[in-house]
Amino acid sequence: MKRSFIISCVLVLMCYLLAACGANSNSGANTGADAAGNGESNAQKEVTIKLFQQKVEIAEQLKVVKAEYEKTHPGVKIEIESVLSSQYGTKLKAKLAANEMPDIFNNGGYSDMDVWADHLEDLTDQPWVSDAVDSAKAPMMKDGKLYGFPLSLEGSGLVYNKEMFAKAGITELPKTLSELEEASTKLKAQGFTPFVNDYASVWDLGITIFDSFMAKVPDTDKFIADLNSGAATFAGNDVFKGLPKYLDIAMKYGNANPLTTDYNTSMTMFATGQGAMIPAGNWIQPLIDKINPNIQAGLMPMPVSDDADFNKNAVFTSPTIWVVNKNSPVKEQAKEFLNWLVTSDIGKQNVAKEFKLVPAFKSIKADPADVGSIGDDLTKFSEEGNSLPMQASKMPEGLYTEIAQSMQKYVAGKSTPDQMLAEFQASWNKLKK
Amino acid sequence: MDNNRASINMHPVLERSSKLERGSTVKRWISSQWMQQAFFIGPAILFYSIVIAIPFFFGIYYSMTSWDGVSGNAVWVGLNNFSTIFLKDPEFGQSFWFTTRFTLTAVILNNVIGFALAYLLSLPLKSRSAIRTIFFLPNVLGGLVLGFIWQFILVQGFPGIGKLTNLSFFNLPWLGTEATAYWALIIVSVWQGAGYLMVIYIAGLANVPKDLIEASVIDGAGKWQILKNIIIPLIMPTVTVCLFISISWTFKMFDLNYSLTSGGPYGSTESVAMNIYNEAFGNNRYGLGTAKALIFFVAVTFITLIQVKLTKSREVEM
Repeated sequence: MKRSFIISCVLVLMCYLLAACGANSNSGANTGADAAGNGESNAQKEVTIKLFQQKVEIAEQLKVVKAEYEKTHPGVKIEIESVLSSQYGTKLKAKLAANEMPDIFNNGGYSDMDVWADHLEDLTDQPWVSDAVDSAKAPMMKDGKLYGFPLSLEGSGLVYNKEMFAKAGITELPKTLSELEEASTKLKAQGFTPFVNDYASVWDLGITIFDSFMAKVPDTDKFIADLNSGAATFAGNDVFKGLPKYLDIAMKYGNANPLTTDYNTSMTMFATGQGAMIPAGNWIQPLIDKINPNIQAGLMPMPVSDDADFNKNAVFTSPTIWVVNKNSPVKEQAKEFLNWLVTSDIGKQNVAKEFKLVPAFKSIKADPADVGSIGDDLTKFSEEGNSLPMQASKMPEGLYTEIAQSMQKYVAGKSTPDQMLAEFQASWNKLKK
Repeated sequence: MDNNRASINMHPVLERSSKLERGSTVKRWISSQWMQQAFFIGPAILFYSIVIAIPFFFGIYYSMTSWDGVSGNAVWVGLNNFSTIFLKDPEFGQSFWFTTRFTLTAVILNNVIGFALAYLLSLPLKSRSAIRTIFFLPNVLGGLVLGFIWQFILVQGFPGIGKLTNLSFFNLPWLGTEATAYWALIIVSVWQGAGYLMVIYIAGLANVPKDLIEASVIDGAGKWQILKNIIIPLIMPTVTVCLFISISWTFKMFDLNYSLTSGGPYGSTESVAMNIYNEAFGNNRYGLGTAKALIFFVAVTFITLIQVKLTKSREVEM
């Protein structure tokens, strides 16, 4: 008797525990249903749009936009999460695995679009599509359909300090590697450190620098196809012969300990005048402005060769693309938010004035005072037709990390130029599909 | 609880009496031995299988596919992933070699320093518990936070001290070369782990019978002799535990590696765990990553089994 009493006691306890576990999820569902019920009676639903994005530079500005949108759209909440580009890809996959996919997130286009194809909402019918710049839409087009929302145009190359260049008497921007070295000597004579090298960051080595070279290879698409088929090699390419030379110059005239200088440190160094040039793009404007509001920065193409022909075409543009999760229950609201951002006056104003990004929409005119001096330079290059498309997202996934490691090895003096290019080749062969 | 145990002991009698009293097969089934065991162990087994066993078998399946971790379909490739790892991926071998070197150094230093701290802090000192707390404290911080803090100390703090004192130790390019990155990882992991092992060693030392030590002192044994011939043999069970813990810790190190060096410079400090992570999530080759994880699992199991066997054989039974 005693025993069955104890067993039944424990049974009851266990049932209670199990029920409690179940009840939690039940109550969660209930409140959800309640909220939805209430919402329906008010003809509005309380929804949350989760935005997960990789532009930490506009994290603060996005909060302003969020407040603005929530004010005019009662019942809609926006949840913003910003992470560094270098961590973005893995975090997004972690979210996918945890079944916590955001409603709006970043995508790099091309091969990255193919990877995420199962999750992308078709945006072809959106009102802003005709207004978007064609080159910004290109990475997200598939079978005549558009799967991405281009938030901005981005350009990268060498960002330089205009004041320092003026003081050193550099009137003409360096167009070849020899001219780059000459400019560096002049800067050094004035007591400036010519280069800020943040080689601890695989992003800047593997994307910003590597892509500057990749984009300047004539007929890049063919080169990439040839690399895949084995018909072309990095070592046999004229443009890539300039890469070790560029790194040599940057190291010779650069800061101490480049391999321990990370992105944040390098931003501080550049903004506080501890260096005149940094491989970066117009996305750094809000960051350096925050550290030093008076900085006069400009953008120039990264010289890749001693042949000026190779350097004629300049800075490449890569749009920042947001995509909408096809499987999201609030995808309509998410699309509505994107639409608001680029068609309403207040949204437009935020994109042009607050983000300090070069807008990817024809109807949004960027004021040089707003997009900053780097963005202004980028607009000029773009208008002159001197811009090349980005290549990073056409390359095998994960390539940039390995490329960057090979470059780190080279600048640390652990490999020769030939070995570095051979390592590029090995990484490519390993990672290609 | 006592009642419960008593009732289980009386089981056959009770069963017979219950048969007589109620005779219902349902009730007999509920109170059966099997049911009781299932009842008490069942939930644990259920959660263990959901959280560990099932994902593990899924992992074995994925290791034989070329799944990218995102798309809906995983293509079966058989043992291709394993041949890729052994034949075409020197980085994996390198990271294994790095991890082995790292584990050897870190385990030895961790245990030596942990034991030394425990031995010193078992002496009757005034501020003993305060010092113990201080040494244990780094373990309370998570590895990620710790890594970022130390990264700041090494990259920003050390050069600052170096400028003031001109000591060459602080002027080294910390984290910038293979050697400094390796030793930085060792320093931080020992700083984090030694305090924890110290606590286990203190517990072990407290269990060494005082009369044995007293007897040896009367027999004229010196401090070193006591340590070598009495204390260490008697705490061998503790050494087994500490070695086991520290080996599996350091061998599977990820968070510290990720936050302190992220494998750099140029991939020279990439641990196996990190290599797997990069393969699965950075290169989008989830299938290959899982295959590596499986190999890693076998290796870790093998090494810890050997270690436990070796140290067990040296334990002294009292």
